[in-house]
Amino acid sequence: MAKDQIVVGLEIGTSKVCAISAELKRDGTIQILGVGEAPSRGVRKGEIVDIETCGKCIREALADAEEKSDVMIKNVYLGITGAHIQSYNNRCSFTLPEDRAKIDREDFARVQEAARTSPIPAQNMFVHTILQHYYVDGQDGILNPVGMHGRKLEADFHIVHGVATRIRNSIQCMIDLDIEIEDIVFTPYAAAQAVLDANQKTTGAITVDIGGGTTGYIVYAGGAVKQSGVIGIGGDHITNDLSLGLRIPMGKAERLKIDEGSCAIGGTIPGEAVVLKDEHGFAGREIEREMLNTIIHMRVRETFELLKRELDKGRYAEYAGAGMVLTGGSSALRGIHEVAEDIFQMPVQVCRAQNIAGVTSAFENPQYSTAIGLVKYAQATLDDESGGWLDWFKKWFR
Amino acid sequence: MITLHRSTVPAAPVIKVIGLGGAGGSALDRLVLDGIEGVTVIALNTDVQALNGGVAPQKIQLGKTVTRGLGAGGDPEIGYQAAEEAADEIKGAVEGADMIFLCTGLGGGTGSGAAPLIAHMARGSGAMVVVFATMPFSFEGKRRRTQAAESLAQLEAQAHLVVCFENDRLGETAPHKAGVQDAFVAADQMLSHSIQAIASLVRRGGIIATGLDELSAALRRSQPRCLFGYGESDGANRAHEALARALKSPLMDKGKMLADCHSVVIHLAGGPDLTVQEITTLMDEFNKHIGDDTRIDFGLATDAKLGRRLCVTIISSTGAHEAAAEPAPAPVRVQRTPPRQAPAPAQPPKRTAAAPVPVAAKAPEFEPEEDAEEIQPAAKHEPAPVAAVKTSPPAQTYRKPATEKTAAAKKEEKAEQMTLEPANRGRFEKSEPTIVDGQDLDVPTFLRKNLKLK
Repeated sequence: MAKDQIVVGLEIGTSKVCAISAELKRDGTIQILGVGEAPSRGVRKGEIVDIETCGKCIREALADAEEKSDVMIKNVYLGITGAHIQSYNNRCSFTLPEDRAKIDREDFARVQEAARTSPIPAQNMFVHTILQHYYVDGQDGILNPVGMHGRKLEADFHIVHGVATRIRNSIQCMIDLDIEIEDIVFTPYAAAQAVLDANQKTTGAITVDIGGGTTGYIVYAGGAVKQSGVIGIGGDHITNDLSLGLRIPMGKAERLKIDEGSCAIGGTIPGEAVVLKDEHGFAGREIEREMLNTIIHMRVRETFELLKRELDKGRYAEYAGAGMVLTGGSSALRGIHEVAEDIFQMPVQVCRAQNIAGVTSAFENPQYSTAIGLVKYAQATLDDESGGWLDWFKKWFR
Repeated sequence: MITLHRSTVPAAPVIKVIGLGGAGGSALDRLVLDGIEGVTVIALNTDVQALNGGVAPQKIQLGKTVTRGLGAGGDPEIGYQAAEEAADEIKGAVEGADMIFLCTGLGGGTGSGAAPLIAHMARGSGAMVVVFATMPFSFEGKRRRTQAAESLAQLEAQAHLVVCFENDRLGETAPHKAGVQDAFVAADQMLSHSIQAIASLVRRGGIIATGLDELSAALRRSQPRCLFGYGESDGANRAHEALARALKSPLMDKGKMLADCHSVVIHLAGGPDLTVQEITTLMDEFNKHIGDDTRIDFGLATDAKLGRRLCVTIISSTGAHEAAAEPAPAPVRVQRTPPRQAPAPAQPPKRTAAAPVPVAAKAPEFEPEEDAEEIQPAAKHEPAPVAAVKTSPPAQTYRKPATEKTAAAKKEEKAEQMTLEPANRGRFEKSEPTIVDGQDLDVPTFLRKNLKLK
C-alpha cells in the first residue's frame, strides 16, 4: 500500500446497521475514524426482508458515519450472513504446462480459479474461497510454493457459498444507494479477523459471533479456516422468548434482557424480582428474576447445544487449543461464557476487536467486532493485492 | 401446428360425502356452505331436529323406530341398531360412488356406533372409503374416549384410510383466548378443508397426477391412520406460507411427525402462474422435514380457478409404533356402555366441569338427568336453526357460525383460518422458520421443553 487508505466496513445486522470508516495506516495499524449506526428494520435473521425499509436504515447509518468521520463514503466492504450460507472444504488442483516445471505467482490465481469451479448447488453463489494449504505434487505442508519445482499445484480451500438471490438482495440495497461494493464478506469470517490474532489462528480457535438474528461460527486450526456456518438463532430469539413468556412488549423485553437479564441460573435470591415501571399505557409489572434468567438460559443453552452439534460434525473443534472466543452483540449477555464453557468444555472468553486505535467506544464493544473485522479484512486483501507495502518498499530499493 | 391435448382423468370419479351424527353434520354444513363442487353430500343422523337443521341436500334419518327421531343417547349400541334399520337407504345412497368420505365425531352414540357399519356398507359398494373422524376432548371423560377408541379401531379395519383428528390437539392450536365456540368452528373447518383437499387431489388430475391409486398405494402399506396437512396461501411468499400452514395443521404436529414416515404424498395445486422456482423452493423446504429414506409421491396440478392461490396437501401414514398403541379391534358392534354418556358428540366443557368424576357404580344415578337432557332438544320444536342456536345448550351453538355463514363471507373465513395457527412464534411469525430435527426453533425454548412458568 503506497499511502494511507480509507475503507468502510458495513454490516447490515438484524438489530442494527453499522458502518465503520477507518484509515489503514502505512505501518499496518488501523485507525478508526467514525462509527455510524442506525437501528435496523426490514432485516430478519440476518437476511433482508424489506429492501426499501432496510435501504433507509443503511442510508442513515452511512450518513452517520460520514458525519462522524468526515469522510465521503463511496464504496464499502459489505458483511453478509443468513442461515442459507453453507461451507465445505475442497481440494483444487492445477497442472503445470509441459514446458514449465517451476511454480510462479500466476499459478496461485489459476488454483483460485479452479476453486471457483467447485461444485455448489445451482441456485447458490460463492462468497469466499479461503485458501487453507498448498501441496506440490502431493507434498504436504508447503507454505509458499512460488519458485518450487513441481508438476501439479494443489490447494485446499474452504468454500463458503449461499443462495444467490438472497445475497443479491443485500447487493441491490447498495446499488439503490449508489454505493459500490468492494467485496462481500461472510460476517463470522470478518468477526474472526477482528477478535483473533495470528497466534490464536495457528493454535486453533473458534469464533462465535452471536448477533441479533443469527449465530455465526468459524473454526481456525493450523492457521487456516476449517469450518464455518450460521445458525438462524440470535439475541432476537431471547427477546422474543421473554416477550412471549413474560407477556411484555418486545421493546420492554429487549431492555429487560440488556439491563437485567443473565444466562446464569441459580444465583438469584428466591422471590427476587425486577420491577418494570408503568408508563405510556404499560401497566407496571414485577418479574421474578429466576424466571427471567431461566428463559434466557434455556434459549442460550439450546443455541450452544445446536452449535456444538454443528461443530462436532467437522471435528476440527477438538484442535482449538486457544479455545473459544464469543463476540457480537449478544455476547454481552451476563454469564454467557459460563454456559458456553459448560457445553463446549473448553476455555471461553468474550472478546472485542483487537489491535485497533481510534474511537474507543467502537472497539471496546463486542457488537462492533464484525464491522471492524470488515475493515481488517479490507486491510488483508489490499495487502495481498499490492503484495504488501513492505514488498513495495523492497522493490523500490532493489 | 400440431396441438397435443393433455387428457385429464378419463371420467371424473364420483365422490360422495357422508356426514354422520352431530359433529359430522356440522362439518358437512361447513362443506356445503364453502361451496364444494362435484360431490354428493349426504347427512345421516338419528336426531331428526339436528338433521333438519343442516343444509345438506340429501338426508337420511337413522333408526326411525329405534330412537324415534331422538339422538342415540351416547350409546353406540343404539347408534348401531339405528344404522342397521336404515341399511337399505344407506346402501342406496352410497351406490355408484368411486370414493366415499365419511365424516363423524367419535365418542357419542350415532358416530361411534353407526360409523363402522356405514363404512362397511360403503366399502361393500366397491368405493374407496376415507373416514374423517374426530376424537372427543379428554375432558369429555374416559368412557367416551374408550368408546371412540373402540370405534376407531373398527373403522381402521373397515376403511381404506382414516384421518383422525384429536379434538384436544385442535384446542392446543387455537389461540389461547379463543372461545369454546371458535375452537369448535376450527374443528369443523379442519374437517371441511381436509375433505376438500383430498377430494380435489383425487379429482384434479394435473400435470403430475396423484390419483386414488397412488394415494392408497402409499398409505395402505402401513396402517390406515394417517397424518394430514393442508395449507394454502396467495401471498408474495406463497410457496413458503402454504407449506408452513400445511405443516401447522393439527395432525402434523408442526412437521415433527413427518420425520418417522416412510412414505408421503404431497400434492401442490396452483393457478397458471405457478412457477418451477416456487415448486423447487417448497420441495426443498419440505425435504428438511422428512427422513432420507422417505418415499415421496409428488403430485402437481394447475387449475385456473385457484387464481393466485397455492394449495399444499400432505398425506402420510404414521409409524408402526403408534399402531401398537391402538386398542385391539373389537367386534363390529361396540359394547354397550352405561347411558351416562351425553348424546352430542361434542360435549360442552361447562357441563362436564359441573358433572362429578365418572364412576361406573354411580352411573345409574345419572340416568334420569341424562334422559331429561335427551328429551330437551327434541321437545323444542323451533324451525329456524338460528333461533335454536340461541336457546339450546352450548353443544349446539357450535354449529352456529356454520349455519349463519354465507358463501359470500369467504374473506372473513380466511381470517378465521389464520386463527388456527399457533401464535407462539412472536416476531418471527412471518419469517422463514429455523427448523432443526423437525423442531421450529423460533418457538421459545421454554415452550418446546414444556417448562412451567409461574
